[in-house]
Amino acid sequence: MRACRYATGVNDRHVVTGRAAEAYRALADLAETVEDEWQYVTDLVDAYLPAIEALASADGGRAPTAAETEAVDEAIAEIGLITDPHKAIDWLSTFPHVVALALGGDVDGPGADGGADRVGGAAAGEPDDDSPFRMLGGLR
Amino acid sequence: MRFQDAAKDARAVVYAGIQADPLVARVATLLAEGDAAERLLARAAMNGERTDADVWRRIFPSLFGKGSDPARRARAESVLAASLEVAERGDAARSSYRGAVVEELTARLLARRAGPDSPVRRERRVLFDGVRAEIHPYDVTVESAEKPEVYDCKWGARGINSDVLNQLDDARAHAAEEEIGLRVAIVVFDARRSCELRLDRSSANHDRTGLVALESLDELAERP
Repeated sequence: MRACRYATGVNDRHVVTGRAAEAYRALADLAETVEDEWQYVTDLVDAYLPAIEALASADGGRAPTAAETEAVDEAIAEIGLITDPHKAIDWLSTFPHVVALALGGDVDGPGADGGADRVGGAAAGEPDDDSPFRMLGGLR
Repeated sequence: MRFQDAAKDARAVVYAGIQADPLVARVATLLAEGDAAERLLARAAMNGERTDADVWRRIFPSLFGKGSDPARRARAESVLAASLEVAERGDAARSSYRGAVVEELTARLLARRAGPDSPVRRERRVLFDGVRAEIHPYDVTVESAEKPEVYDCKWGARGINSDVLNQLDDARAHAAEEEIGLRVAIVVFDARRSCELRLDRSSANHDRTGLVALESLDELAERP
């Protein structure tokens, strides 16, 4: 029974993150219509889409709670309402972090730098083990 | 090197009215006391399609859910209410309000460590001997004689561009010619990772330009 419940939890999480990834791709399609920003949009998608998909196994792959699932679905609904491609670009940056906060994960990925430091300085490239969004997901 | 008030053109006069709106000060005060999750809520709600507070409460269960700390929830409610007021100003006005909020927030965080010898000022130009003055003023400055600082503030990573980066680096370089260590940085109310993606594609010199992103805004209150 436990294995069965675990499998269901993993599947639930995959389903939720799958929906988020699909919505993110649709948002990127809209954002790509701003021709001058095609490269930036591509870079955002290359960075964040795998990170959203990886949330499926974050937090031990536990099943999302009903509130967490509802949060992701509401966020998906929110970006689904966007028709302005410029706003879509803004949300390509925001949406992954909103989803990660809801699911208790992290979309900063390797190479991110958690502190205020030089843009091209020595701190860049260090893994971000201290993502404030992740740390603050539960408590201040 | 010296600081100077920027001349006010018509656009600056209109923008000054937005900067002086009590709503800007209220949002900035809340965000200065908030944490990264509350700031993410503010970013999302101020840029959202819907202004129904219940929608945003559902999107952020860690802030508003059943298990959330009551004090934290109360603070998040204040952030949400103020953010939605900005959103309700409409798409045309909200971008100006958001920019003004980021500037005010930056100034308030910097003011925590400011003293009589290092006042925090707004909309200031930096003049160097023998160098033509830049047209655009810096959003926020810390005018210390020994360790001056200038900041350009952006709502989103997309606002990072070569003009901004070149102006900041030029100021730093001119200050260095006068043997003054001028700290230059951009403050972006957006995720660090997005900012770094933007910067990675920029050909403008930014090796010595600081980045303060949404996750690390509190570091403005600490001495560099």
